[in-house]
Amino acid sequence: MDFSYTDEQELLIESIDEFVRRSMPDDLITRMYAEQSVPDELTRAYLEAGFALIGLPEEYGGVPCDRVTLGILTERFAHASGCLTPFLNNVLAVNDMIDFGNEEQIRLCLETYLEEGKPLFSLGFSEPGAGSDNASMSTVTRRQADGSFLLNGQKTWVTAGESLPNVLVAAKDEDPSPDNRSMSMWLVPRTTAGLSTSSLHKIGAEIMPFCEMFFDDVVLTEDMRVGVAGEGFKNLMKNYEMERCLIIAQCLGIAQAAMDDAAAYTGERETFGKPIISYQLIQQKLTDMEIALLNTRNLLYRTLWMIDTGQPVRIESALLKRYGAQACTQVASEALQIYGGLGFTTETRLGRIWKDCRGMEIAGGTNEIMVHIAGRQLARRYARK
Amino acid sequence: MEIIVALKVVLDDQDIALASDGSLDTSRAHQVASLYDLNALEAAVQLAALEEGSRVTVLTVGGPEIDDSKLRKNILARGADELIMLLDEAARDWGSFETARALAAMIAKRGTWDLVVCGDGSADRFAQQVDVQLAAALDTLVFDAVVAWEWAGAQDGRLSLKRKLEDCEQTLACTLPLVVSVMPDIATPRICGMKEILAAGKKPVSVLTAAELALDLADIEKSGGATRFELIETRAPARQKRAARMYEAASSEGLRVFCAEAAALIG
Ligand SMILES: Cc1cc2nc3c(=O)[nH]c(=O)nc-3n(C[C@H](O)[C@H](O)[C@H](O)COP(=O)(O)OP(=O)(O)OC[C@H]3O[C@@H](n4cnc5c(N)ncnc54)[C@H](O)[C@@H]3O)c2cc1C
Repeated sequence: MDFSYTDEQELLIESIDEFVRRSMPDDLITRMYAEQSVPDELTRAYLEAGFALIGLPEEYGGVPCDRVTLGILTERFAHASGCLTPFLNNVLAVNDMIDFGNEEQIRLCLETYLEEGKPLFSLGFSEPGAGSDNASMSTVTRRQADGSFLLNGQKTWVTAGESLPNVLVAAKDEDPSPDNRSMSMWLVPRTTAGLSTSSLHKIGAEIMPFCEMFFDDVVLTEDMRVGVAGEGFKNLMKNYEMERCLIIAQCLGIAQAAMDDAAAYTGERETFGKPIISYQLIQQKLTDMEIALLNTRNLLYRTLWMIDTGQPVRIESALLKRYGAQACTQVASEALQIYGGLGFTTETRLGRIWKDCRGMEIAGGTNEIMVHIAGRQLARRYARK
Repeated sequence: MEIIVALKVVLDDQDIALASDGSLDTSRAHQVASLYDLNALEAAVQLAALEEGSRVTVLTVGGPEIDDSKLRKNILARGADELIMLLDEAARDWGSFETARALAAMIAKRGTWDLVVCGDGSADRFAQQVDVQLAAALDTLVFDAVVAWEWAGAQDGRLSLKRKLEDCEQTLACTLPLVVSVMPDIATPRICGMKEILAAGKKPVSVLTAAELALDLADIEKSGGATRFELIETRAPARQKRAARMYEAASSEGLRVFCAEAAALIG
């Protein structure tokens, strides 16, 4: 088994470190959290350095690469910067459109992305009454006599919903009842009449604010539909596995940044006349934090390798998401603990990292839903032959 | 335009540890492109972009240990078209004279050229000699301390150079061929993109030995002086204990003492 990076991966890591050193000084990161946004210049610099193109197909101007390398990019970027950024979500959104959109929609989406480094749309899937249980969403479209559709309902926790120009909405076709599985996705401009938003206040990952979205007799036309009519649910589920891997790659990167800080601090901070690293309780913290990081990393890259080699990862991606999000939150929490009172202030980045990781125990499928996905499948996998 | 960049591979100084006896421990140090040479390469690549059909070839000289597949790709991902390496046991400890001779032979073997670009100085020795000696060996002009340049096109055929000298800035225009060494300010090394990194592995690299270049090593080394001296040891200077003295600054008397002693120190 070869765990080493290729030359290309090592050079990519060097490029990321250099990019972060030049373009993301600490005060900029602090400002991004305070202002809850990423400055356009940074998004553009990320695009110009070529990172935004990694993982997109060549025919669309991208630089295709394997999933392991995409994971390395994601982890390292989060590690070097110590923060969660929307860049990963952006490339995932563009890939969604490439998978499901028609030529015109793909062209539009890429035009924006290659020009500005931002995707054309946010994702409006969750509803106040339907998060984990997506299928019971009640947002609905109804066909009108003139061939258009009326969209009614509400979405919530829509990341970047108030800054991106469109939203990709999942809605039931004709009938909102839970047993209607016929669902479609629609690309709706935010300025469409009848669409309104209301900000929500996050406790973490503030760089990427989310909002509520209301649809009140919004008129849609057939050309706004993305993908096959009625198959929206299938589409919705298809790219979750990769998303889960990359969410954990981000958590891992920032948790590693917390480890870097905390481990160094244990040699600097003295209590009772000795550096705190001389106490076994502190040594145990570092040991357990390192184990958590290594386990997460091993699970992450093994799962990505499985995707690269064409193996199904429904179970593995759920195991990774469940384990990794909690492990990284715990690493950040212990790092904060090692800093004592200072850790509980905004003087260090540990509180911020802890909150960012904590959100990832919910986003992209909760810890509990990962059991729901993996548990029964595991029983089947281990059933006596 | 055929542009040659002379790039030195050195040990990464961040990896060099200082042992307690002052000796240098290089066992963990990686081979990297000398820092300022990357600025020279970037400037060369930007210049090449101004004239269609231009090529940038990187030349490097050193012991066989400098050859490393990642280092090759790192150089070629920065816009160079080709890499030529002279790898030879004999070259490991070469100084400026021997290196300049070898580079001149490599350039002659390679064929036509218009411009040789060197960095301001190598990260390890910083002797700032190879540019001058290379120009002598190539029998051409050399300008150092170049901080900017302009190329008006092949028709004009002259490269105008801005040099930063001790107390003035000098601008001049010179026909090619020419050797220049550039200050780091001339260009910031690029951040290699994934596309360039992936393409780097497919670019041509050739490796030569001193014998293949028909270099007369005995003659070069005799003139270069390497046969006349022996390097006994390299050590960091003994650390000076820094004396910290505190002055009472709450009273004007204390301040007066401080000022008087500081003035005496400065002389
Ligand atoms: C940072 C962040 C960003 C987000 N971005 C987006 C976005 O861009 N677009 C979007 O559409 N949504 C987004 N979401 C919403 C996210 O997908 C949902 O919050 C998530 O799916 C959970 O749904 P819920 O909040 O309704 O919780 P619920 O589904 O109501 O769950 C409540 C609790 O019950 C548990 N639970 C639910 N069902 C089961 C079960 N069967 N067995 C055991 N336990 C169960 C859950 O794990 C949870 O603990 C985001 C969320 C966060 C935190």
